[in-house]
Amino acid sequence: MLDIIIRNATQRKVRTGLTITGIALGIFALVVMGAMSENFNQTFEKSMSLTSESIRVFPEIGVFGGGLTTGKVAEVKRVPGVKDAYGLITTSFDEGHGGMGGKQVMGIPPEKSQLALNPVKLQSGRFLQPGDKYLTVVGASIAGEFDLQVGSKLEIHDKNFTVVGIMEYTGSFFDNVATMPLETAQDLYNFDNSLSTIFAIAQDGVDEELLAKRIEFSVKGTSTISPSELREQASQSLLIFSVITVSSALLAAIIGGLSVMNTMLMSVIERTREFGILKAMGAETKDILLMTLGEAAIMGVAGGLVGIGFGSLLTHVLNSWLSTQGIVLFMITPRLIVVAMLFATIIGMVSGLYPAYRAAKMSPMEALRHG
Amino acid sequence: MDDGVILQVEGLSKTYMQGKIPVHALRGVSLSVKKGEMVAIMGPSGSGKSTLMALVGCLEKATSGKIVIDGVDVTTAPDKRLPRIRREKLGFVFQHYNLLTALSAISNVELAMRFSKVSKRERLDRAKSLLVNLGLGNRLKHKPTELSGGEQQRVSIARAIANRPAIVLADEPTGEVDSKTRDAIIEIFESLRAQGQTVIIVTHDQYVADRCDRTIRIIDGGIADAESV
Repeated sequence: MLDIIIRNATQRKVRTGLTITGIALGIFALVVMGAMSENFNQTFEKSMSLTSESIRVFPEIGVFGGGLTTGKVAEVKRVPGVKDAYGLITTSFDEGHGGMGGKQVMGIPPEKSQLALNPVKLQSGRFLQPGDKYLTVVGASIAGEFDLQVGSKLEIHDKNFTVVGIMEYTGSFFDNVATMPLETAQDLYNFDNSLSTIFAIAQDGVDEELLAKRIEFSVKGTSTISPSELREQASQSLLIFSVITVSSALLAAIIGGLSVMNTMLMSVIERTREFGILKAMGAETKDILLMTLGEAAIMGVAGGLVGIGFGSLLTHVLNSWLSTQGIVLFMITPRLIVVAMLFATIIGMVSGLYPAYRAAKMSPMEALRHG
Repeated sequence: MDDGVILQVEGLSKTYMQGKIPVHALRGVSLSVKKGEMVAIMGPSGSGKSTLMALVGCLEKATSGKIVIDGVDVTTAPDKRLPRIRREKLGFVFQHYNLLTALSAISNVELAMRFSKVSKRERLDRAKSLLVNLGLGNRLKHKPTELSGGEQQRVSIARAIANRPAIVLADEPTGEVDSKTRDAIIEIFESLRAQGQTVIIVTHDQYVADRCDRTIRIIDGGIADAESV
């Protein structure tokens, strides 16, 4: 039966080609948008796994809220149940290239450097140490982009920094981070003694949820996010992002599916007499259904393969180009390919259901009289 | 049913609705055909002969009456059994050949056996042997558009007998061919009859009818008379 199905699909090459193109465009959109979503998911998940053990302390927003300063770190440390705390500043590496995939500068107290970056390991060099000034430890993507090695010079905000350490690739935002001593960063960016965030680490056995509330209550002008809240917020944001990207891609794929339905309806009408002949020869309803649905499924599979192929190619090209900016925007995962392929096949078959039903239900004599 | 009767039709009627107006295409037709007979059905256009063929061929449902083919009452058979009856009991030869244009001669014949679940090797062997016997040994791979009308009709006959049916139903099989080809086609039907194959031919052509064992004439949906050669 497969040979008949393939023969039917290839008999009208232009129309079949256009239909496959319709599906391929939809799947292409699904793959590209899905790859973006997968990349953000993976980056978030890895970033979370690397940093979610700490309670984040932010300045309270509102009329009575004030900025975070280095003085607040001591206050956080004094809260019962807090094992350690440190403040840091984060800012864009290059003001013109901030944003989602952009490079970041992170000013961290040198003595807490290893703690702040834990469990990220170094591929070469060392972490920051007390007494360091214009020295930096950079992420793997930054090292790759600027072709840096330990001892290389890196210009940050018009100042030359010497690279003393290079982090291993993590697949998280750490890959695009250049760390420097907190005080150097505060001077460089005129932050005075301001901080972006304070990280508090709970003592063993202390409930982090309760400790976060205690910090908020004890240290005036602060709000906190516990690790579980952070996970929840991150997954909600990711979910919204995924829904937006994937639903727009699904829309494109559904439009592709409609083109299959149109083609199959045309094909069924054109081949009405043929179905009549087949029925006169003793073909059963299931044979006609299989033939028509099989043709739709083959177009779906072909559209899926083409869409996945071009989608993968484009994301690869864009990733290669963006890597010069230190940005990785797309990630093609096996899960994404399986979903895209299944979706293409299902959309082809679902779109072929009605035409197949029409073909199968036709009376043989009525079909033979046609055309 | 009498011994040797392969088709028994009793009180067969078919009424179509043209809008709200009933059109009586067949009115209580009864006839019987014996195994190995070659019978012609004649009648003017619109007399109901093609409707009779469609009903006997299980391509349409009768309004009333009974059709028994090779001992099977097809009028009471459930719809889902009809494809099996068509492929096991019946073979069709159409005026316009009705070959699938994308398939070669051998594939057209072989296709008829696919639905009967005949193995691929046997399908191809049988299709080739039938086409060779009908003088198409050098046209096996030709597509219908590359064959003459007579050749196409021979492929169509090969397809009709591929499943070794009880009855071959031929609807105006010589309607599209010249007199020489007509003779060749009639000779094929005669040779099938000689092998015990039952053949029923709907025709306008008295010459074809004269070559059959007998002729059943249909006028205004009813049988006018039956004559034997």
